[in-house]
Amino acid sequence: MGLSLSAAAAIIGVSILISIEIMVGTTIPTMTDTYESYDNMKDRSIDRFQTDINITTITAWANGTNYDLNFTVDNIGSVTLKSSYFNILVNGTSQNFEIEKAYLYPEKQVWFNVTNLPGGAGNHRVKAITGNGISDYETFTTI
Amino acid sequence: MGFSLTATQVIFFIASVIIASAVSGVFVAVINDVSSSLSDRGDRVQDQLDYEFTLINDPNNIPTSGNFYHFYLKNIGGKQLSTSNTTFTIFVDGEIVLTENFNFSDTSIKSEEVTIMYVLNTEISVGDHTLRVVGPQAIDDKFEFTI
Repeated sequence: MGLSLSAAAAIIGVSILISIEIMVGTTIPTMTDTYESYDNMKDRSIDRFQTDINITTITAWANGTNYDLNFTVDNIGSVTLKSSYFNILVNGTSQNFEIEKAYLYPEKQVWFNVTNLPGGAGNHRVKAITGNGISDYETFTTI
Repeated sequence: MGFSLTATQVIFFIASVIIASAVSGVFVAVINDVSSSLSDRGDRVQDQLDYEFTLINDPNNIPTSGNFYHFYLKNIGGKQLSTSNTTFTIFVDGEIVLTENFNFSDTSIKSEEVTIMYVLNTEISVGDHTLRVVGPQAIDDKFEFTI
């Protein structure tokens, strides 16, 4: 009777150890990865709160029947922005652009050149969007 | 009498080992299933935290080409985003848009990249509208615009 009890207890004890190993082996990596994702999300949110831009000094001039556009973006936030991750919309349409610098540091500015834009004289609207989705609009007039 | 006592003890021993093994097997299997579900749930929570996107259009100027309106969807999350009409569901003024009436220019976009979402113009009339785009893990973005 004593041996039976010991054998049963040993088997159940081993199964409990195996179960603990399974639980710990999957739970700890899952918790670590989830915490890392949460941390990244928190960093992205903080970056977004600290990002701000302002479009200044817009110049547009005729280029045949089209026009070219040059404008400056000031980084008035406290996050360094990668210029190639910007998106530029002119009258709502995404445009390819040339940039002055690869990075836009806080309190600095960078110019963007957009060429061969369709449309004649009148009011136009430009929107600049940073890599993390922060944007600014500005209206300009072509003659 | 002596033999039957030994036989009884052997029978008790075997029975107890069989019962303990059965209980252990069920216990380990249940724990394994719970761990696996917990791991899957963790993966889904991670996806919910990693996926993030926004529509960056100028709400007053929605570009068109052919029969399609163009909406620019930017990945502002921390993970590559699979963009197709099966991973995304879109609603215009609360009405679901059929999967054959919208599509994307790319099958996936990395963080900070943009894709164009094409929506058939019969889905959107002239006037003010609200577009709701629902992505993987029900992450969504709402965009109000005027045609």
